Amino acid sequence: MDTLASLLHTSPALAWMVVKVVIVFSAVMLLASVWTWVERRGSAMIQDRIGPNRAALFGRIRIIGLAQLLADGIKFFFKEDLEPHDVNKRLFWLAPFLAFVPAMLGFAVIPFGRDFVSGGHVYHLSVLDPGNGMGMLYPMAIGGLAVYGVLVAAWSSNNKWAILGGMRASAAMVSYEIGMSLAVVSIFMTTGGYDPAQIIAAQGSQPWHWNVVPQFLGFIVFFTCVFAETNRLPFDFAEGESEIVAGFNTEYGSMKFSLLALAEYAHMMTASALVVTLFFGGWQVPFVAHPGVMLSVLSFLVKLLFFAWVFVWIRWTLPRFRYDQMMHLGWKAMLPLSMVNLVVHAWLMSHGR
Amino acid sequence: MGVVVKKVELGWLDRTYVWPVLKGMGITFNHFIKQLFTPTSKRYTIQYPDMKKEMPTGYRGLHELKRFEDGAIKCVACFMCAEACPARCISIEAEEFSDLNFTQGFEEKRPKVFKIDMLRCIYCGMCEEACPKDAIWLRNDYEVAAYDRLSMQFGKWDLMNTYAEADGKARISEDPTPSVPRRVLAM
Repeated sequence: MDTLASLLHTSPALAWMVVKVVIVFSAVMLLASVWTWVERRGSAMIQDRIGPNRAALFGRIRIIGLAQLLADGIKFFFKEDLEPHDVNKRLFWLAPFLAFVPAMLGFAVIPFGRDFVSGGHVYHLSVLDPGNGMGMLYPMAIGGLAVYGVLVAAWSSNNKWAILGGMRASAAMVSYEIGMSLAVVSIFMTTGGYDPAQIIAAQGSQPWHWNVVPQFLGFIVFFTCVFAETNRLPFDFAEGESEIVAGFNTEYGSMKFSLLALAEYAHMMTASALVVTLFFGGWQVPFVAHPGVMLSVLSFLVKLLFFAWVFVWIRWTLPRFRYDQMMHLGWKAMLPLSMVNLVVHAWLMSHGR
Repeated sequence: MGVVVKKVELGWLDRTYVWPVLKGMGITFNHFIKQLFTPTSKRYTIQYPDMKKEMPTGYRGLHELKRFEDGAIKCVACFMCAEACPARCISIEAEEFSDLNFTQGFEEKRPKVFKIDMLRCIYCGMCEEACPKDAIWLRNDYEVAAYDRLSMQFGKWDLMNTYAEADGKARISEDPTPSVPRRVLAM
């Protein structure tokens, strides 16, 4: 870390920015693509199967099937890029990017490690430095943009099944966003700020001071809503093999399909980063008051990967909800619960606790 | 006849939906861990090219034409199997042969050509049932595939040697006795 920092002293702040962007972008990309494999192997293990374990480097080195990523990538790149008749061409091309970019953007404000001071400068381990005025509102807003990816993909395909999937997915996303935002608001209240660095600092290193303990209800609501937000089971209404073919990406193939699929996993990563930052102390290491930079990054990564795994785990535990059940849950359970959570914490704060 | 359907009453804990989800996650996690620490040989999945399934006795796989100890074919070319075959995949041409010996008793007829079209065969085992001499068996080899149609036409010597390696028998490619009919010699 010191050698890296000494290199940075000679270079302007822009270089540090570029380094951060490259690190965050490549890490999220890599994790998202690795998670496609984790999802497949994990689901296989949960269902007493084995999963993709045969793809090998040079036909020899099997590394428990991790080469499947490469194989899939190469396959997707070289597949014919079909474009059905009567699609809205511009939107059809734009949709995968509209889905993928917001998923990556959300990561920009998340601090993935402790700040460190070197040569009189404070270096923040998040793409946007704290105090940028957007704070946690930014990933929420960007998360709202994710609706466009699904809806544009569905609309532009000119396909009934796709538009059905896209419509109900966007309805789910929009209605769960309210409950989610209210759960976050109560955290803003108790923290006294909406900057992620502030939220993390306020949580401290004791696990029972992390927001998950005093705001358990808020955590449940937020975590549930995040599933709807990322379009994961049990709320993945964009898809639905038994009802609407493949849902919003029915007409997509080759790399465009791959981007849409990767966007889901990038979303998972961003969502679990949000959960970790808001409720599990971000980069805080349990019981270590002043962790080293590397340790804090490791702590953040472990928490992130755990929650990303919970996404996979839940997916292969629960069946898909019915649409009306999900709407019922969103409007009649999640929204009142997060309101109750908000009011209770407001009351507690007003009584000085 | 009426059936009384018992309505399941959920307790408050189950109605929160959080507890049942956690229980379900426990179950799936148990499966995950169990599968993760099961050695490959004991998993349900048989990783085919590396591992092969042991077929039960009575499995109807690739045929074998049985032979006597001296290598003579047991088949007497009675055409029963060809008659019984619902797929009409067996074609036989009979021939006579001269030297009688004890293992074969007094039969003097045998197939000159015994061909099974494996592309047509449906592995029903009717030929095995029909055979009066137990000369044709369907056994446990299920890997009957080839790159071209011609190699799926199994001839007499192919069929006699299908299980030679598995049983540790020698491969044979000719009858122990010549096929010259006695009648021709007498003339």
